[in-house]
Amino acid sequence: MVFKIKKVNKNFQNKTMEMEILKNIDLTIEDGEFLVLLGPSGCGKTTLLRMIAGLDFPSSGTITDNDVPVLNPSPERGFVFQQYSLFPWRTVLDNVAFGLEVKGIDAEERYEKAKNYIEMVGLSAFIESYPNQLSGGMKQRVAIARALVNEPDSLLMDEPFAALDVLSRHKLQKEIIQIWQQETKTIIFVTHNVDEAVFLADRILVFSERPGRIIQTLKIEQERMRDRTSEEYLDIKRKITGLLETNQKF
Amino acid sequence: MRKTIISLVIPAIIIVIWAVLTTYTGIIPSYLIPSPHDVFEAFKSLLMNGILIKDTVDTLSRVIIGFIVAAIVAVPLGILIGWSETVENYLSFIIGILRPIPPIAWIPFAILWFGLGLGSAIFIIFVGSVFPILISTADGVKRIDKVYIESAYTLGADKLQTIKKVVFPAALPNIITGLKVGMGIALMCTVAAEMIGSNNGLGYLILTATSMLDSASAIVGMLAIGVIGLTFEYIFTRMERKLNW
Repeated sequence: MVFKIKKVNKNFQNKTMEMEILKNIDLTIEDGEFLVLLGPSGCGKTTLLRMIAGLDFPSSGTITDNDVPVLNPSPERGFVFQQYSLFPWRTVLDNVAFGLEVKGIDAEERYEKAKNYIEMVGLSAFIESYPNQLSGGMKQRVAIARALVNEPDSLLMDEPFAALDVLSRHKLQKEIIQIWQQETKTIIFVTHNVDEAVFLADRILVFSERPGRIIQTLKIEQERMRDRTSEEYLDIKRKITGLLETNQKF
Repeated sequence: MRKTIISLVIPAIIIVIWAVLTTYTGIIPSYLIPSPHDVFEAFKSLLMNGILIKDTVDTLSRVIIGFIVAAIVAVPLGILIGWSETVENYLSFIIGILRPIPPIAWIPFAILWFGLGLGSAIFIIFVGSVFPILISTADGVKRIDKVYIESAYTLGADKLQTIKKVVFPAALPNIITGLKVGMGIALMCTVAAEMIGSNNGLGYLILTATSMLDSASAIVGMLAIGVIGLTFEYIFTRMERKLNW
């Protein structure tokens, strides 16, 4: 296994009140698994992902990565943000090479490696471009390459395709499956999109509205690439949508 | 190009009206405003005898040294203030109280501490330009989108690397704006300081020319300051534009 999440609770405190974000999360994430955290907005799924990354901390409970408590962010856990996060003053090449640069790897080696990952996401023609010259989908591809260049054990993705149009989203979903199969990473993927969850996941955790609890765990055995029009696929989608609707409070 | 021509229209009209009122009609007597011709003659003689160039170099070197000292102090300190709330809490009161004091008010102390000459001029310029650079830098750091800093951390950068490779470049447009404002103030401070505690520089040129009723030379000195300011403004604006990702 990779991640063990034990009895994790998370509360946010503001001036007037304390808010429960996540309640009693117990979870083991297996090596090489494609796990999707699915739930309505504000259910705490992003907070859980950020806590696994070490960008945020539980109010109680523990999170361990290979039995080591997660206390800060690490290049071993690549993170792809929902917002565009490329450094706008760096070219695509220098964005992707960033992780190697801070590791002190010399220019020749880091550029060669960075180029390999840029090729993997199909953007070799854009290595000298700046982020503002790229489309949303291209930016997220670069962000994925930038996380992968550190050769992390796991890739944590926070609604990375939420801002994209349907066609680019479907394309990137296929690409991420290919990368996952090729690189054998553990991927934890947050989304509120049922179709995206069913297309990607080995296992889906369905979250309730705030305070977020895991209300259902679903294993999806269907072969990849999944056919979005198959009866089985649509059945799973229907089931999850029904589950989310019956748990909707407002 | 078209913009350059447009920007010269009003100055040309002013010179024509000025020439008409002085040289051609004599409505304004020359002891109030010298004619364009007088100013040009003064410019020629100040250029020929080397005084204009020497005073410009004196003023420029003071401005640049004082400005660089201010930038060396203000940029790192501004980054620290923007980065750490603790540092900001320690410094905000003292900065708040020192900032509104006009740099000119420091002149007596500058002369007491550094004597007449370069030292006190640098001190006055420093006091004048350090705050705009500081405030602008701190503000730029505070406005950085958190996602850049978190990206750096998840990619393995430590705090120092994050400040060097992410915070500094992300705040650079604001830093340049601070430098631009600081440079303008530095120039004003230099000339003011030269009028009080100096025996060279463009401020001194203007002051001595005025006291000898040589108003044409004074205008030459004033225009030289304007040209220096315009040049710096141009350089910094170019830098700002280059950084507009």
